[in-house]
Amino acid sequence: MEEINRILQASVRAGQILLENGGETSRVQETINRIAKAYKLKDADTFATPTGIMTSLVDQKGNIFSLIRRVSRRSINLEKVSKINSLSYRAENPCLPLEELEEEIERISRIRHYPRILDILFGGLAAGSCSLLFGGTLLDLPASVLIGGLIKSVSLLLSKVKFNDFFINIIGGALAALFALLAVDFNLAVNSDKVIIGSIMLLVPGITIVNGIRDTISGDLVAGISRIVEAFIVAVAIAAGTGMVLKIWHYL
Amino acid sequence: MALSLNQSLGGSVLSQYLLELLYASLATLGFSVVFNIHGKKLIPAVLCGTFGWALFLLVHHLTGSRIISIFIASFFIGLYAEAAAKILKEPATLFIVPGIIPLVPGSGMYYTMAASIQGEISETLSLGMETLNTAGAIAVGVAVAVSLRKIVQTLGNKTEA
Repeated sequence: MEEINRILQASVRAGQILLENGGETSRVQETINRIAKAYKLKDADTFATPTGIMTSLVDQKGNIFSLIRRVSRRSINLEKVSKINSLSYRAENPCLPLEELEEEIERISRIRHYPRILDILFGGLAAGSCSLLFGGTLLDLPASVLIGGLIKSVSLLLSKVKFNDFFINIIGGALAALFALLAVDFNLAVNSDKVIIGSIMLLVPGITIVNGIRDTISGDLVAGISRIVEAFIVAVAIAAGTGMVLKIWHYL
Repeated sequence: MALSLNQSLGGSVLSQYLLELLYASLATLGFSVVFNIHGKKLIPAVLCGTFGWALFLLVHHLTGSRIISIFIASFFIGLYAEAAAKILKEPATLFIVPGIIPLVPGSGMYYTMAASIQGEISETLSLGMETLNTAGAIAVGVAVAVSLRKIVQTLGNKTEA
């Protein structure tokens, strides 16, 4: 009884880490069920959506245990996804002691991101190379690298003080447009559109929409639709931010 | 003043493509770090984005169709990611997510927004549809590759049993 509760908590915690860090919905469901089966439970069933997980386990005597876990923050940290994935296979055979499984899951949940400065630097690199890829010239490179780094640091800062994602994207989009227009005005860049496109690539919900369509295709309809809506809201927020600045700029 | 590196390299189509490959791999590298991929796993992740973009350029050069090239490139990215996942014993998402970054229609999204604030309704709709189609092509390409892997796996299990 005690043990089943622990298995339930550990497996759902693993699923929660996957969901919070960019794992697909089907992977969350498979992982929870795999861990539960590894501990000789008769049956395990999970329903996961981007905002929550519901799991119920059935033990050999037919007792039913279930747990609901809310997921409120989502970002992408693929290292955690990779570690949870290999842990779930390790639990399977030979069966890992339960204490060890719990410890491992806690350890994975505390895995640090790269140092913030690296994050910002590579965010800048990503923004700069995206603006070149979308047809910017080398003269647009410095501006887009700087603005990309700025957007990354602002969004890291704002999400640390638990700012709403919608507003983070509005602010990010507005900053990208404002600084790109300023840079062109001061002759530090040539194409304001390419600079903006490169820098907002850091915010654009490309992964979310692709995952949403994939979930829908693979039959996780609720999860798929909610991811598509999330992507749509983020896109609207970015467009609102950049659009506002562009509109005001035209009147000045 | 040399406006682009391409002109100083002679401005041929090939050098333009090579430059784009470099940009695509740098963009993939940047996003891989932002998505917190650690250590040696960065190499296959960056290669995924680079090969994907190379295939996109090749098919686009041959057919001239954006959607078909995006679809074929994403299909390849899905296959590559599943193969890398099998070999390295890592989840395929680790390579799919950074791999599709260069294909993501960020510019389409921006131009849709720009057209809409200028009040050009039909332009907004056509650009918006094109952006959605691109996103759809990426997703379907990846999904087809992933389902293919699942079918192969199921067939493999059947013959074993």
